[in-house]
Amino acid sequence: MKLIRLAISNLAGSSFRSWLVFFCSALMAGFVVSGTLVIRGADSSLRLALERLGADIIVVPKGNSQRLETALLMGIPAHMWMPDTVVDDIRAVSGVEAASPQIYLSTLRGAVCCSVPEMFLIAYDPDTDFTLKPWLEKNLEGGLALAEAVGGSLVFVPVQDGALLVYGTSLELKGTLEATGTGLDQSMFFTFDTAFKIAEESSDLAVKVLDIPPRTVSSVLVRVGMDQDPHQVALAIAEKLPNVTPMETSSLFQGQREQILSLLNSVVALLGITWLLGMGLTTVIFALAVNQRRRQIGVMRALGARRTVVLQSLLMEAGLLAIAGGIQGIAIAALAIYLFRPLIVRLMGVPFLFPGFLPLAGLGLGALALVLVGVLLAAAIPIVRVSLQDPAISMRE
Amino acid sequence: MKVIGAVFVIVAILVGIVPMFTDCESAGRMLTLADGRQVSMKCHWTGLAELGVSLPLLVVGGLMIFSQHKESRRTLGIVGSSLGAVVLLLPTVLIGVCMNPDMPCVSIMKPSLLLMGAVVVVAGLGAVGLNWGSEQQAA
Repeated sequence: MKLIRLAISNLAGSSFRSWLVFFCSALMAGFVVSGTLVIRGADSSLRLALERLGADIIVVPKGNSQRLETALLMGIPAHMWMPDTVVDDIRAVSGVEAASPQIYLSTLRGAVCCSVPEMFLIAYDPDTDFTLKPWLEKNLEGGLALAEAVGGSLVFVPVQDGALLVYGTSLELKGTLEATGTGLDQSMFFTFDTAFKIAEESSDLAVKVLDIPPRTVSSVLVRVGMDQDPHQVALAIAEKLPNVTPMETSSLFQGQREQILSLLNSVVALLGITWLLGMGLTTVIFALAVNQRRRQIGVMRALGARRTVVLQSLLMEAGLLAIAGGIQGIAIAALAIYLFRPLIVRLMGVPFLFPGFLPLAGLGLGALALVLVGVLLAAAIPIVRVSLQDPAISMRE
Repeated sequence: MKVIGAVFVIVAILVGIVPMFTDCESAGRMLTLADGRQVSMKCHWTGLAELGVSLPLLVVGGLMIFSQHKESRRTLGIVGSSLGAVVLLLPTVLIGVCMNPDMPCVSIMKPSLLLMGAVVVVAGLGAVGLNWGSEQQAA
């Protein structure tokens, strides 16, 4: 306790140096937290999106693979059509265990008949679906009925409408899926029957008719057998059906993954520079501080204070500054990343999921521990040197 | 206390300046009325109100730097915190910003003001905490 008081009074006595070390610690911790948040947020967002898709292969009409990736990542609606006979053709391919069609639609922009403009709508076939089914079975007994929907984490019922209006048809939002940070959070899922009902009613209720070409689907989600290689199955599909593109989900979002990797390299380089400068500055500041306090330290030693007490007192100063600065840096960095995440997503072109409280607290504690170790190591060099010096020499100098 | 005063001064300048370059009007976007007239969006008024808050915050920061007494620093900390709270409330509750998430006022101006407001509130409370107790007690 006495050591803490001594450390605090010493820190207050040299406030400029203390603030410098405080800001160095804040900077070091802030960079660790912001870099990790962005990289891990982008990575976990892509991972969750792939898990949500729940298929090994997605088959889309030829030339639409990029549009589908953009739709899934950023929620920008994509319209694509292929004959529904494709579903049976795919099922006939060796290695395919299940195939389920989906229809991609979108709401109208700037029309009162739609609660949300340009929302990506995904209609699925409840008889063959295997991607939403596990979630529906767990959360909604009996699945989705006619005019019922589940939405991504950002989908909600607007207060002014009282219901989700899609082309004038009122839909009941039965549940909300877990956030992924991708465009799937702004998407809505309902059954084929609901999609056809909306299309039928749109001629009377909406400013524009929802047109679903007869006997068509937008994509087919494929699950391969347990012992099958998705790549081989995808090749077989491409060979049998030349007008479609089978996309392996394991290789989806490749461009975004490469972007995250290059971002990771930049972040690591920036972190290295920041830490090197931060630790270097801390060493210099503590070298100056202990140099100026040589006499004080000599007197302490001459009065009977053991070497370890001097060492502990000086390291305590460094530790207190590291903890205070670290907490400040972590708080500001986390708040900044949270507030600016839409801008970060737009600038990076990669979705980004902000972690929950527990992972964030874990990251904060980890960063704090790192900064504490870094600052203590940096300060230890001059501190150990002065504490090893003979008291008589310290006082004479 | 000089550092907290300096933080107040720097943030006050930023609170006054940032909205000028990040509101929708600075990006050339204005509301067009039915009669063809163009009027400013509400983020512009939030920016002007923030300019109004930044001036007293600047004064508080300046006074904090030169203040010698604990009581006055404590009072300045409370005033600074309150002004920080206003910085936070203007773009969220009191006036607000535009609805479209793609607008610069939503993606840049609002988060910047919230971050700066939070820093001012915490710094002000820090000044209050560090100057707790009377001068006599400290002596």
